Amino acid sequence: MTARNWAEPYKIKMVELIKMTSREDRLKAIREAGYNTFLLHSEDVYIDLLTDSGTGAMSDRQWAGIMMGDEAYAGSRNFYRLRDTVEEYYSYRFTVPCHQGRGAENILSQILISPGDYVPGNMYFTTTRLHQELAGASFVDVIIDEAHDAESEHPFKGNVDFDKLDALLDEVGGGKIPYVCIATCVNMAGGQPISLGNLKQLRAWCDKNDIMLVHDMTRVAENAHFIQQREEGYQDKTVREIVYEICALTDAATMSAKKDAMVNIGGFLAMNDAKFYEKACGLVVVYEGLHTYGGMAGRDMEALAIGITESVQDEHIHARVGQVQYLGRRLREAGVPIVNPIGGHAVFLNATKMLPDIPQDHFPAQALSAALYVESGIRSMERGIVSAGRDKATGENYRPRLELVRLTIPRRVYTQAHMDVTVGAVEEVMARRSEIKGLRFTYEPEVLRFFQARFEQIEQ
Amino acid sequence: MKTIIEPFRIKMVEPIKLTTREQRERLIEEAHFNPFLLAAEDVIIDLLTDSGTSAMSSEAWAAIMRGDESYAGARSWYRFRDAVKDIFGFEQVIPTHQGRAAEHILFGVLVQPGQIVPNNTHFDTTRANVEYNGGVALDLPCAESRNTESDFPFKGNMDIEALETVVAENGPEKIPLIMVTVTNNSGGGQPVSMANIREISRIARSAGIPFYIDACRFAENAHFIKRYEPEFENRATIDIARELFSYADGCTMSAKKDAFANIGGFLCTNDAELAHRERNILILTEGFPTYGGLAGRDLDAIAVGLREILDEDYLGYRLDSTRYVVNHLVEAGIPVVTPAGGHAIYIDAGRFLPHIEALHYPGQALAVELYIEGGIRGVEIGSVMFGLDPHTGVERPARIELLRLAVPRRVYTQSHMDYLLEAISLVWERRNDVRGMRIVEAPPFLRHFTAKFERRS
Repeated sequence: MTARNWAEPYKIKMVELIKMTSREDRLKAIREAGYNTFLLHSEDVYIDLLTDSGTGAMSDRQWAGIMMGDEAYAGSRNFYRLRDTVEEYYSYRFTVPCHQGRGAENILSQILISPGDYVPGNMYFTTTRLHQELAGASFVDVIIDEAHDAESEHPFKGNVDFDKLDALLDEVGGGKIPYVCIATCVNMAGGQPISLGNLKQLRAWCDKNDIMLVHDMTRVAENAHFIQQREEGYQDKTVREIVYEICALTDAATMSAKKDAMVNIGGFLAMNDAKFYEKACGLVVVYEGLHTYGGMAGRDMEALAIGITESVQDEHIHARVGQVQYLGRRLREAGVPIVNPIGGHAVFLNATKMLPDIPQDHFPAQALSAALYVESGIRSMERGIVSAGRDKATGENYRPRLELVRLTIPRRVYTQAHMDVTVGAVEEVMARRSEIKGLRFTYEPEVLRFFQARFEQIEQ
Repeated sequence: MKTIIEPFRIKMVEPIKLTTREQRERLIEEAHFNPFLLAAEDVIIDLLTDSGTSAMSSEAWAAIMRGDESYAGARSWYRFRDAVKDIFGFEQVIPTHQGRAAEHILFGVLVQPGQIVPNNTHFDTTRANVEYNGGVALDLPCAESRNTESDFPFKGNMDIEALETVVAENGPEKIPLIMVTVTNNSGGGQPVSMANIREISRIARSAGIPFYIDACRFAENAHFIKRYEPEFENRATIDIARELFSYADGCTMSAKKDAFANIGGFLCTNDAELAHRERNILILTEGFPTYGGLAGRDLDAIAVGLREILDEDYLGYRLDSTRYVVNHLVEAGIPVVTPAGGHAIYIDAGRFLPHIEALHYPGQALAVELYIEGGIRGVEIGSVMFGLDPHTGVERPARIELLRLAVPRRVYTQSHMDYLLEAISLVWERRNDVRGMRIVEAPPFLRHFTAKFERRS
């Protein structure tokens, strides 16, 4: 164990009771859920590490903001506060609220993409890629190779490989690339950051080729923390300053505020270009709501504005990432194969290594996630072949090199004791891993199949 | 007793900022003479909409604190689903972040380009969603609805003969669904009778066409049925609501109206296969099927709101308070849609400002003057909202030119309403000086939200 160098910069003000279950209860529950943790009832879950999206604990100031909602349909004062906060902390001039991140992705994709376009990005994300595809574009992965290697210790696995980017440009031409989509703290790579050096180079590349740079900024504060810890020249800068610098290098952003900003619902699309903003206002009203609320209650815009200011505090991010690192290090010490370096929002178990006897076609990560639930009541999420889905052209499964189970830590919710229980549970599963069976689909949805798919065990 | 008493007392207040007439003249000009573009804090009495603007009860606020924010399978979801099923009775419940998302998903799945969707009258986002999918939004209001002065109690009814003709001419191949909006918002917040619903259901079922209800103000509609349709005089409003939905195959709902919520909506159907396709779109644009883009706390607040909205005393108070304003306007000789609807007062701007032609937007002009006079914000429902065909770009006068003053639920008191009456009568006195408007800039869909205007000389 490393020395204690962080503690939570808050105390607990409101609690939510959780129910303990027996192994028999859980066996029944996971069978009824078709071995898909998404289909479990939350009350049957002991420690819920399914996602860090919308599951954070708001501060008393955010709850006070909830009470300060101005629910006027048009021109709510909470909107102006949100818009000003986005500009102050994230640099973007215009803000279009959306009910959550995928609402912003939908509008962005419809406005910027023409059929036949290519959108390069530092690894796919499930909903982002689907919106790009529905608008007629193909996603092209331009992340460095190290990102696909769970063992690599590269400090910035979210970086862009410019050889890949140049190759795409040569092949299709700049006119077919409406924008480059860059995620901070790349989720599917294991919560891995991009460096500011790499981002500056990308900015120059985009300028040279006259291509827009769009920022998927869901976990920008965590990315900024890693830059502060790892990148030369940023040790003395605050997370807030680094966040601003990242954003200022990009032209527009989609935000799921349910992560960094610690709200239960909400997101936005932000940009600097007035014409783009006007188009977005015209479209947001069709899908989301009038451009001064975009499908968010006034109170949620207020909580979001406050959450943004809290999300970039050094001590907050330090404790946030510190807790994730604590869990990851303890698992590593116990001999559990995980993705290195440990990311910002989650620890990713390497299912390929944990269950070497289960072929990828039998969904080892899905099986591991189900087994962890049965063992302990801990809910995790598959991030492997099931999440990757099928190629729309060939109908074949995408075969990601990373076959992972994500233990996602909600912000400010669980204590060190919960983390210790989690370590013990994973160790137990490790010890009994020879008993874990592969799975096959009994129901496979055509899009985003991981959400609602059902499985059964394959008997040996 | 003739005094209307609220069946609640006030537990939390929100201060209002007062403005002067001079400030408001400047503010409305800065907002390009479009009340949608005003900052809410510059409005004294906000009657722009009753959508999402209501006061929740202490019980609903408590539910807000109880929200289970788990991403999948949250307790809040089961409480929400059970509350919806209890009243609406449909087998499949799909939560959405608000009503227009439910419409978007429904029409996205059912409507093909060139197909026709009949409705008693489509509301703005409903019409936009049908048209966005390439469909034709066909309004079939009953004949009585054209006469704003008639006292017919169910002016929201659909024209049954016209519906039969449309169905006979086009059949189920060209009509993917028939829809009815309760109450009929664009037509003056007027209710639809149970007899009318039964007729529509009969036509739809014999032609094999799904019948959907746009349920935003279902409780107000059900209470009107109790008041004016003799058969239902002694029935509980909740039973009337249940019977109403029993004739339909599904519904869309904006919980921001008759569930007192600040955000939220849902889509219901009895067709499991259809629900399956709808959930696939839901996941893409809204969220996972057990939260649909809503926080857990909002699912819980809706569950509580749905229980409260069917309280007989509340509904009696609600309908009587709207009638209070309408009766005073009638007494003052000010042209207003009668009988009083449920959620709003509709001033007949065409008759209020007869010197302004339809395409000079008398409703918009009246909205601007009422804001200047009293800081009151209403919305035009006329040629600005419905005059432009987005496919052809041709502009035609709407059927009627109205100014809607929508009353948020449980928010304003009788003195606010008396202040409103005074402001309207002051504009009435100087009506001959009011000038028409011209659109300077507007988007193709739902232009009324963001259009910029100027005054004609």
